[in-house]
Amino acid sequence: MTALERAGHRVFLAAASVVFLAYVLAPVAWLASSSVQQEAEITSRPPHWIPQRPTPENFAAIFEAKEKQVTYENRRQGDPATGGYIPSTARNLMPAMWNSLIVAVAVVVLNLLVSVPAAYAMAKIRFIGRSASIYFMLITRVIPDIALVVPFFLFIRKLGLLDHLGSLVITYLAITVPFSVFILVSYFESLPDELDKAARIDGCSRLQTLLLVYVPLAVPSLVAVILFTFLTSWNEFLLALMFTQTPASQTMPIVVASFASDFTISFSFINAAGVLAVVPPVVLAIAFERYIVSGLTAGAVKG
Amino acid sequence: MARIRLQSVGKRYPNGFSALENLSLEIEDKAFVVLLGPSGCGKSTTLNLIAGLEDVTSGALYFDEQIMNVVPAHRRDVAMVFQSYALYPHKSVYENIAFGLRMRGHPAADIDRRVKDAARRLELEALLDRRPHQLSGGQRQRVALGRALVRQPAVFLMDEPLSNLDATLRIAMRAEIKQLHQTMQTTFVYVTHDQAEALTLADQIVVMRDGVIQQIGSPEEIYDRPRNTFVASFLGNPPINYLEGMLTEEGEALCFQRGSLSLVLPHALALRLKGQAGRSVKLGLRAEEVDEHSVPRPGETLHGRVSSVLPVGSDQYLGFEAEGKLLFFRVGRDLRHREGENVALSVNVNRLQIFDSGTGDSLLWSGNGA
Repeated sequence: MTALERAGHRVFLAAASVVFLAYVLAPVAWLASSSVQQEAEITSRPPHWIPQRPTPENFAAIFEAKEKQVTYENRRQGDPATGGYIPSTARNLMPAMWNSLIVAVAVVVLNLLVSVPAAYAMAKIRFIGRSASIYFMLITRVIPDIALVVPFFLFIRKLGLLDHLGSLVITYLAITVPFSVFILVSYFESLPDELDKAARIDGCSRLQTLLLVYVPLAVPSLVAVILFTFLTSWNEFLLALMFTQTPASQTMPIVVASFASDFTISFSFINAAGVLAVVPPVVLAIAFERYIVSGLTAGAVKG
Repeated sequence: MARIRLQSVGKRYPNGFSALENLSLEIEDKAFVVLLGPSGCGKSTTLNLIAGLEDVTSGALYFDEQIMNVVPAHRRDVAMVFQSYALYPHKSVYENIAFGLRMRGHPAADIDRRVKDAARRLELEALLDRRPHQLSGGQRQRVALGRALVRQPAVFLMDEPLSNLDATLRIAMRAEIKQLHQTMQTTFVYVTHDQAEALTLADQIVVMRDGVIQQIGSPEEIYDRPRNTFVASFLGNPPINYLEGMLTEEGEALCFQRGSLSLVLPHALALRLKGQAGRSVKLGLRAEEVDEHSVPRPGETLHGRVSSVLPVGSDQYLGFEAEGKLLFFRVGRDLRHREGENVALSVNVNRLQIFDSGTGDSLLWSGNGA
């Protein structure tokens, strides 16, 4: 009876997992599948999950896109129904991805440089206004980004950074640092104070204590912070839309969105761009997979 | 080597809590000093101040003649062992022990020699490649000791290092620490709330309460000549018994009087209590200072009823009702008292303590110590 129950339980769990996975992965699968379909196939009914005539055309267009002036007169040269239509801004996609990557990496690096020492100080040094400063940082995250757009815009304009990647780095830091500090503070606080004392007695300055003792122990939460920061910058749309105006500083989400506002829309092409957009975060996740898993057992770290 | 001197040291935290007030203490070079007190008495704070882990708010801290108030921890020649051991979880035993030397820039060959030497001394040689989480509590404790002793510091600080160990291991480690002090020839400052540890290890005990030193002295002094009831109560197992009463003069002799109980104080004590007759006092009677063997003599006898018998292996504890109070004594295990029996106990009057019934200060020994 119990064995039967246990088997039933297992079957139920397996079924539930399959449903959950299907729910999560179906859009991604459709993205991947449709990125190698032609526009005609993508709009067919019922949809083809497995492309009948797979084509590299969409990807080729991204990598080989030429400058093309689209006017009202020539807009039908590439009829979306034939699958030959490529948006006029297609050639901006690769530079935009490069911009996104530069911004994301810069934000990750600068964010760590600021948030790691800040979190250590807040977790391990008793100073007046310590808990107030932690709460204050968190409160800044309660304000919705849309409320900050105008002040940010004026600020960026004053700095002369409009249409410059620096504007994105600065504002993304303002968004990501408080949350990173919060994650790290709670992790550092979970590490025993005596470890800090022991390191200082052993001859470490505060900075050495942080770098030689706390940072190695905090790798799981550092990875969490890196992923969070990278993904936030990589995906951010609203601020990028406000501060960037030309391909010189436009990021990937802006350019992909612009494909949908052209004279005509090629969904298969947009999906191909989407597949490319997914690649860097996935690569990052795979690279850090080991640490993400070890983050789950981080509670085992004890003095 | 260092003599440590705290001069009117105060420690106040940003939240206004005052952990230490006007604390003055001198620790001789190569001494083994134990700071003893209940939790929250400021003993760990004192240790942290000496280590440089916390800043002195007022007063001065000297190592020999050098003022140390603002010298950061990593520039003081101190080593410390913590209650939780505080080993670096990500480093091997070898690296844990070597870390302090590495940070101070010792040459690699010297580090290797010293670490192996310490490992041999603490029987850790087979464990050098292990991580702390693969070690037992006792092994971790020894690594923590190794990490401290490998540096050959001028001052060796220990913050309740044995309280996470089980009872047998604790006794063994006590002996090891005592031996370590003898071989290292350096100043030890040891914090504990365990009176047995303090009595076995210390050259000098500093009893603290609420950030104030109550008494400084050798273990014998602290035990035999407590300056107040707090010190008297803190040492002794079971704790010292108190009886409120009156000092009276009977002819030549000075007596302690309470109801039908009358104890004649010996000459040596009476001398110290000259002119105090008629004063209401608190009598302190240590648990072991009674004897059921000797024939009770007048003026040295306590009559009462056995209310409970608690064997504790080597001894037994006797719950004893006398003069309307419940007292506890430690007696030999061969004596078979039954509950409810009326017994006369002979009191060792030479070891009586007399305290002021109001302040709790000793009327016998208020002058000694600090």
